[in-house]
Amino acid sequence: MSSTTYIVPFIKAVASVFKDMLGIVVTKGEPVDEGEEFGSQGFAVIVGFTGGWRGRFFLDMPPTAALRLASILTGEEYASPTEEEVLLSAAEIGNVVCGNAVTAVNDAYPGLNIRLTPPSVFVGDGFSMFNVRLSSYSVLMQTEAGPIKINVAVEEGKR
Amino acid sequence: MAVDDSPVTRKMLKKALEPEGFIIVAEAGNGRDAVAAYAQANPDVITMDVTMPIMDGLEAAAAIKKLNPSQKIIMLSAMGDKDIVAEAQSLGITDFCTKPFKPDEIIGKILKVLAEG
Repeated sequence: MSSTTYIVPFIKAVASVFKDMLGIVVTKGEPVDEGEEFGSQGFAVIVGFTGGWRGRFFLDMPPTAALRLASILTGEEYASPTEEEVLLSAAEIGNVVCGNAVTAVNDAYPGLNIRLTPPSVFVGDGFSMFNVRLSSYSVLMQTEAGPIKINVAVEEGKR
Repeated sequence: MAVDDSPVTRKMLKKALEPEGFIIVAEAGNGRDAVAAYAQANPDVITMDVTMPIMDGLEAAAAIKKLNPSQKIIMLSAMGDKDIVAEAQSLGITDFCTKPFKPDEIIGKILKVLAEG
């Protein structure tokens, strides 16, 4: 499978989870060519996966979007993206998106048995990450909360 | 009893359930803590996440079922593939709810398992 194929279930999961969990419609998605580098907008959730696919998923956004998503989810207002509930809300959104995507992949390809690792959150201005030995693919999506970028890096593991 | 490693999800459950008259008698952030708190909490129903650190929800559900085979457990997870659902069913899990959950959906499932006695 190509890296473009790997990212499709994650695009679908973002659209459905944002709609069902947050009431946010994803209006547009376009591929981003970043090569081996992934440039963050300042706030990124990372969820790893193991099993028939090994790799990781980034849900990336500007800090203002993270504040907005946390407010929608909890019904409370936040001043800083490093407040605990903002970090925890984003982690849970990333976890649910990745879980839904991986569920679809597991059901489509029996035997892959992909499982998630608990999410982590990174916050900071203009940080980049580099993929070592993994090819990745990014898609930038527009939402009312701000631009949401996802990046998926996969290598096929043992079944 | 709400078992989930996400405090935000536990908060959302509380927000959904307490106005309907349910009381969350205990919370746990991983399977091991859930098993440890179980006997004292004596819950009617447990909502249990699957992917958690230290001990996952399926292991915890198995341990609780060993202590009390008739305990009602609803798995509440972002992962709901056929293999996980089948494993949960083999443990005698009462129901399965996939995240993101809607308040009405989880309330409906809890009422259903309570009605089944």
